[in-house]
Amino acid sequence: MADSTPKPSSSVKLVLLGEAAVGKSSLVLRFVNNDFQENKEPTIGAAFLTQKCNLPTRTIKFEIWDTAGQERFASLAPMYYRNAQSALVVYDLTKPTSLIKAKHWVAELQRQASPGIVIALVGNKLDLTNEAGASNSLGDDAESDAADGEDVDGDARKVSTAEAQSYAEEEGLLFFETSAKLGTNVTEVFTAIANAIPETSLKGIRGPGAAAAPARTEDPSRVNLTGPRDSASKEGCAC
Amino acid sequence: MESLSETLWDVVIEGTGLRQSLLALALSRSDKKILHVDQHDYYGSAEAAFGLQEADEWVGNVAADSLTLPFRNASLWKAGVYGDERLSFSRAYALSLSPQIVYSTSQLLAQLVSSKVYKQLEFQAVGTWWIYDSSAIDASPSLRRIPNGREDIFEDKSIDLRAKRSLMKFLKFVVDYQSSPETWEPHATSSLPDFLSTQFKLPPHLQTVIIALALSLETPDNTTVSYSLPRIARHLTSIGVLGPGFGAVLPKWGGGAEIAQVACRAGAVGGGVYVLGTGVKDASTDADGSSDVTLSNGEVVKTKLLLRDVSSGVPSDAVIAVSRIIAVVSTSLLPLFESTIEGAPLSAVSVVVFPPNTLSTSDTANTHPIYIMAHSNETGECPGGQSVLYATTLYSSNRKALLKIAIDSLLLSTQNAADAVLYSLHYEQTAPSFGIANPLDLAFDDRMLEDVKCDWKKVVGEVDAKFMRFEDWAGMNNEQVDGDCDY
Repeated sequence: MADSTPKPSSSVKLVLLGEAAVGKSSLVLRFVNNDFQENKEPTIGAAFLTQKCNLPTRTIKFEIWDTAGQERFASLAPMYYRNAQSALVVYDLTKPTSLIKAKHWVAELQRQASPGIVIALVGNKLDLTNEAGASNSLGDDAESDAADGEDVDGDARKVSTAEAQSYAEEEGLLFFETSAKLGTNVTEVFTAIANAIPETSLKGIRGPGAAAAPARTEDPSRVNLTGPRDSASKEGCAC
Repeated sequence: MESLSETLWDVVIEGTGLRQSLLALALSRSDKKILHVDQHDYYGSAEAAFGLQEADEWVGNVAADSLTLPFRNASLWKAGVYGDERLSFSRAYALSLSPQIVYSTSQLLAQLVSSKVYKQLEFQAVGTWWIYDSSAIDASPSLRRIPNGREDIFEDKSIDLRAKRSLMKFLKFVVDYQSSPETWEPHATSSLPDFLSTQFKLPPHLQTVIIALALSLETPDNTTVSYSLPRIARHLTSIGVLGPGFGAVLPKWGGGAEIAQVACRAGAVGGGVYVLGTGVKDASTDADGSSDVTLSNGEVVKTKLLLRDVSSGVPSDAVIAVSRIIAVVSTSLLPLFESTIEGAPLSAVSVVVFPPNTLSTSDTANTHPIYIMAHSNETGECPGGQSVLYATTLYSSNRKALLKIAIDSLLLSTQNAADAVLYSLHYEQTAPSFGIANPLDLAFDDRMLEDVKCDWKKVVGEVDAKFMRFEDWAGMNNEQVDGDCDY
């Protein structure tokens, strides 16, 4: 580590939620690998991914949990929400029903997840609107176009920024419009979440190199099935 | 809603109990098309864990006799409304319908490790064992600690030297009982107490301790030598395997329910499709050997293989049954969980054994042993300052009253008032008497893994695949990718 004074580092579990095909996995793929795949198959093959987020005073290591398709038939298990400190609730801004679904997931999180969870509402597929590429999608002019409906100037937006934003404000959610395809606002979402997580809820062992899963430390009853090796391998992934 | 009927499934698995969930895990890298359904809207089937509201609903369903086999006769009592100052809010609890400890030597743990899913589970120690003693004439009934290994026995001043020698001789024999068949095989069908007294000259109070370790639901006289020896050996050889002072573990947040959820998630990550709240209504076999399966939502799906959940269709005349009470109590019961062994973790679970004839109602005593698995709040099954008591006994007369007395006696002998009980859920659970693995066993029965492997072979065929041995998912570990996000 190059830093002369290493920053404290904490693991944060982040869960993805949202209707099928809104681009949940694509957002994560963009964030983690800076990559995008057109016509990606429904999610198969990753239990969770990890990615670090460097803030001025600390490092947040996101443990990003994908739904693995279990949301499709309302079959997510309680363990999915357990100890999640943050959630990304994604909708497709060209599909109004997906926002309705997103609101359902927000309610579900408020019911199932830890009380202090940081939730970001994300309208994805900004590239299908004619504001694509705008560095800040939250500008005033975004709203006026939206209500006019589809196919004006190739604009497929069906959910106005104003509508989603006012909902987000009511519920106390972070709000972003993104394009996983172009990379617009993707890093910003995760950075905003990292910043919004209160220092007090970071239970991980402070200090570099400490492999601590969220809220799992200092458990006097905990048994390690694999011996000391485990603490090192926990840094990686699990499935 | 997308359609399930467009796919030709390789297998449709019914039920998300531990057995079916472990099968889903075993198949998670098989590239088979898997549809996994459960008639309930929760994971775990008979191994489910509930919050208080879910438990309320479940009791209603059992009363209405709707889709709740293997359970029957459920009723509950609570001290107040959820979320008041005594009982916390519903989701602060995870009450486990079929609580089972897992011995450290169980193949289940080895398979959870080799299949990599153990990383999503937290295991806790089951390290303290107690026996309820009401035999002292001049003293009130008390809990006696069951010695946890040889050092403990040496230091136990309540055992006289001659008895100690007998006990050590028996322990030496039992941990390696397979090497001396001449000692026990002629007595295989004898009762364990007879065997201990005639072959090892163990005095009755030490017999009681040894019998307790077999975790037999039957009366000692109906507990055979061939049944007990492997179980006692399992107990003794498990101590110390995963750390000092304990021989069994339990997954945090609801035991088997948690394993089921993690295993099903692995199935989903591998491409399996999950549909809760949807059961198998009917199935017919086609000429080509595939099945048309009618789901409870009316959809008909085609599959090469259908694996039904046998536990949900038990014929009522061929069953054994246990009676259970789950009690939430307003005390941490801390002394129960503290180990005397240096370096031992704090137990999250303590096992309390009430031998036959140690408890009585006004007209009967307990003919069968009663077991209470005390779960501390470290298990995540209840809020701080409380604990959950899981009391189990074989179905017999007066069982419900006796289970209550056992709970009260545990509270009294740990200097707590009987009014510490905040919540009490009573029910009966049945199991086919012809099955291989016993789902009513208080410890996870490794033979279930044989059932899982057998189902797994039906799906993958007799190929050279490795059962439950997986690498980490490729491309997932991006520790080396230095893609930090900037502020």
